[in-house]
Amino acid sequence: MIAYLLIIVFSIVLFTWAIPTYTPAYPGYGASPALVPNVAVGVMLFMAILSMVTVAISLFTKKTLPKEESEFSEDLEDGDGFTQVGRVNLYHLARIMIPCVLLVVAIEYIGYMLASFAFLMVLQYFIGSRKWLQSILVSITLTAVLYIIMRYGFGVPVPGPQIFE
Amino acid sequence: MEMIIAGLMDSISINSLMFLLLGVTIGVMIGAIPGINGPMAIALFIPITYYMTPLAAIGFLVGLNKGAFFGGAVSAVLLRTPGTPEAAATSWDGYPLTQQGKGEKALRMALYSSVAGDFISTVVLILIAAPLAAVALFMGPSEIFALISLALTVIAGIGTTSISRGLMAAGFGILLGLIGTEPVTALPRLTFDVYQFGSGLSLIPVAIGLLAFSEILLQLEKLVGKGAGEHAATKFSSKLEDRLLSFKEFFANIKTLLRGSLIGIGVGAMPGLGAPVASFMSYDQAMKRSKHKEEFGKGRLEGIAASESANSSVVASSLIPLFVLGIPGNLAAAMLMGAFMIHGMQPGPLLFKENAQLMYGIYGSLILASLFLLLIGRFGLRFFCKAVNIPALILYPIVIFTCIMGAYLGKSSMFDVGIMLAFGFIGYFMRKFDYSYVAFLIGFILAPEWERALQQVVIISEHDTFMFFQRPVAMGLMVLTLFVIARTFWTSINAGRKRRVEAAAAAAGQHKAD
Repeated sequence: MIAYLLIIVFSIVLFTWAIPTYTPAYPGYGASPALVPNVAVGVMLFMAILSMVTVAISLFTKKTLPKEESEFSEDLEDGDGFTQVGRVNLYHLARIMIPCVLLVVAIEYIGYMLASFAFLMVLQYFIGSRKWLQSILVSITLTAVLYIIMRYGFGVPVPGPQIFE
Repeated sequence: MEMIIAGLMDSISINSLMFLLLGVTIGVMIGAIPGINGPMAIALFIPITYYMTPLAAIGFLVGLNKGAFFGGAVSAVLLRTPGTPEAAATSWDGYPLTQQGKGEKALRMALYSSVAGDFISTVVLILIAAPLAAVALFMGPSEIFALISLALTVIAGIGTTSISRGLMAAGFGILLGLIGTEPVTALPRLTFDVYQFGSGLSLIPVAIGLLAFSEILLQLEKLVGKGAGEHAATKFSSKLEDRLLSFKEFFANIKTLLRGSLIGIGVGAMPGLGAPVASFMSYDQAMKRSKHKEEFGKGRLEGIAASESANSSVVASSLIPLFVLGIPGNLAAAMLMGAFMIHGMQPGPLLFKENAQLMYGIYGSLILASLFLLLIGRFGLRFFCKAVNIPALILYPIVIFTCIMGAYLGKSSMFDVGIMLAFGFIGYFMRKFDYSYVAFLIGFILAPEWERALQQVVIISEHDTFMFFQRPVAMGLMVLTLFVIARTFWTSINAGRKRRVEAAAAAAGQHKAD
C-alpha cells in the first residue's frame, strides 16, 4: 500500500512539476513533447491507483489471500503493496553502497590506484573476508589488471589524479 | 552474392575469430558461476566492445551469450545450482548423474545438446530472418508504433508475477528513456538542467546497474555471514563408460533433442517468453513422451538433452524479432540491441538493406560460435568445472569492481559510475519487490523509437484523429494490444475469484466436519 502510495505521489509530482517544467513547449507541429512522458507517467499512476484500490478493498473486506492468488493480492498481510522476495536489508545495502559512493568521490582526489586498493580491501572486509593476505593479493591484482587493461588495452585515461606518474 | 561472400570472409578474419573465441570462452566460464547469466555478462562486457569493430563486437557478445547458456549447465549439473534460470531443468537429471560419478557424461550430453540446438536454431534464423525482414520493410510508422506498443504490453509480464507492476516498470523505463534531446524540437527534455543528461541516459551504466550490480547486491545479502560460497570439489568417476558419451547414447536421444530445438525456436521467436519457458516445456514434453517416465529426475540423459537443446536454441531464434522487427524478445536480445545502437546501427528490417555485409558476417559468426562452443566445451570441460568452485568472497568484489570500471569505460566519466550505482540501487528494490526490471529495460531501450514512430504518424497524418484506423495492420496490432491487456487482467481476476470460492468451500467443509 505504502509503495503504491509512493508511486502515486511520484507520478503526481512528475505530472504537475517535472514534466511541465523540463519539457520544451509545443512547437506547433507533430505531437507535443510532453505527450509520451505523460502517457508513461499516466500508465504508472493508473496502475498504482488500481492496485492500491484493490488492495484497500481486500483489506477492508478482510479477505486475506495467499500472495500468488491474484493479480492484486500483493502482501495483504502487511499491506505494504509489495510482493517482497525478501526483506530489504538496509544495513547490508549501506555496507556495499557506501564504499562504492566513497570510491567515486575518493578516486577524484587520491587517484585510481590508492582509492581502488582501499575500496577493495574495505569491500572484502565488509562481505566477510578475514584472510588478510588473500584480500591484499586480490586487491593489488585486480587494481593492476584493470589499470593495464584500461590504460594499455583500450587507451582510456584512468580516473582521478595520477599520483604515481 | 558478393555481399554474402564478403560478409562471410569478414567473419573469418583473425580479428573476428579471436574475439568470437574469447567471447565463447568467457561466456562458458561466466555462465558456470552460479548467479551470473548471459545478459548480465553482456552488460558487463558491452563497454569493451566500444573498442572493437562492429562485427567483432556483435560476434563477441553473441559468443558470450551462447557460451553462458552452456556454462549455466555446468553448475546445474555439478552443484544443482543452475548458473542461469534456464538451466534449472538440466539440474533435475544432471545432478543425480553427478552423484553417481557420471557428471562428466552429463556435461557432455549437455554440451552436445546445446551445440545441436544452437546450430539448428542458427540455421533457421539465417533462412527466415532476411525474407521476413523484406516483408517487414512494408511497415510504416503506424505499424511500428503499434508493434512496439504490443511488444511492451507482452513484455510487461516478464520477470514479475503481476502485469500491473510490469506495466508500472515499463512506464518508468519509457519515461527515463525519454530523457535527453527531444526529437522534434531538438531541445533538452527532462534533463533537470544537468548537462550530462543532454544526450540521454547511457544504456551501459543503466544496464550494468540493473542487471549486474543489483544482482550481486542481492546475492551478497544471501551469502554474507553465512560462510557460503565455497563448494566441495566435484568427484568424477575414472571409468570410461561413466565419463564418455557413446554414439549410441547420443543417438538414442536425438528425437528429444530435435523436439527440444523446435520448441526452443518457437518460444525464442515469440517476444516475452524466453529460455526458461522453452527449457521447462521441452522437459515436460520429453517426460510425457518417454517410455521411461519414472526415470526422469533420477539421472536420465534424455532430460538433459531436452532442457539444453531447448534453452540453447532460444539464443539464435530470439534474434528473429530483433533482426526482422527491431524488437528485442528477451533481455539478451535487448542487450544486443543496445550493442548495435552503440555501433551506430538500428536493428530492424533496414539492417539487411543498409548493412547487408555486416549481417552476413554476423551469420558467419553465429555458426562459428556454435563450432567454437563445441571445441571449447569439449576440450575445456574439466577446466570450466573448476570455475564453479571460485569462492564468492573473491568473486563478488571482482564483479563489483568490474561493474564500476565497466560503467566508467564507456565515456571515461565518473558521472556514469554514479548512474550505474543509482540503477543498482533501483534494481535492488525492483527485484526485491517484484517490479520487472526486464520490462523496465526494454521500455527504456524502445522508448525513443516508439516516440519517433508516433511523431512520424502524427506529422504524416496531419493530426488526423483516426490515423491508426487507416492502416489495417496497425489497427489490428492496436486491437491486439488492448486484447492482451484485457485478457491478462481478466484471467488473473478470474483466477483469484475461483480460488476464493474454492477456499470458501474448503473452509465451509472444514467447519461442517468440526
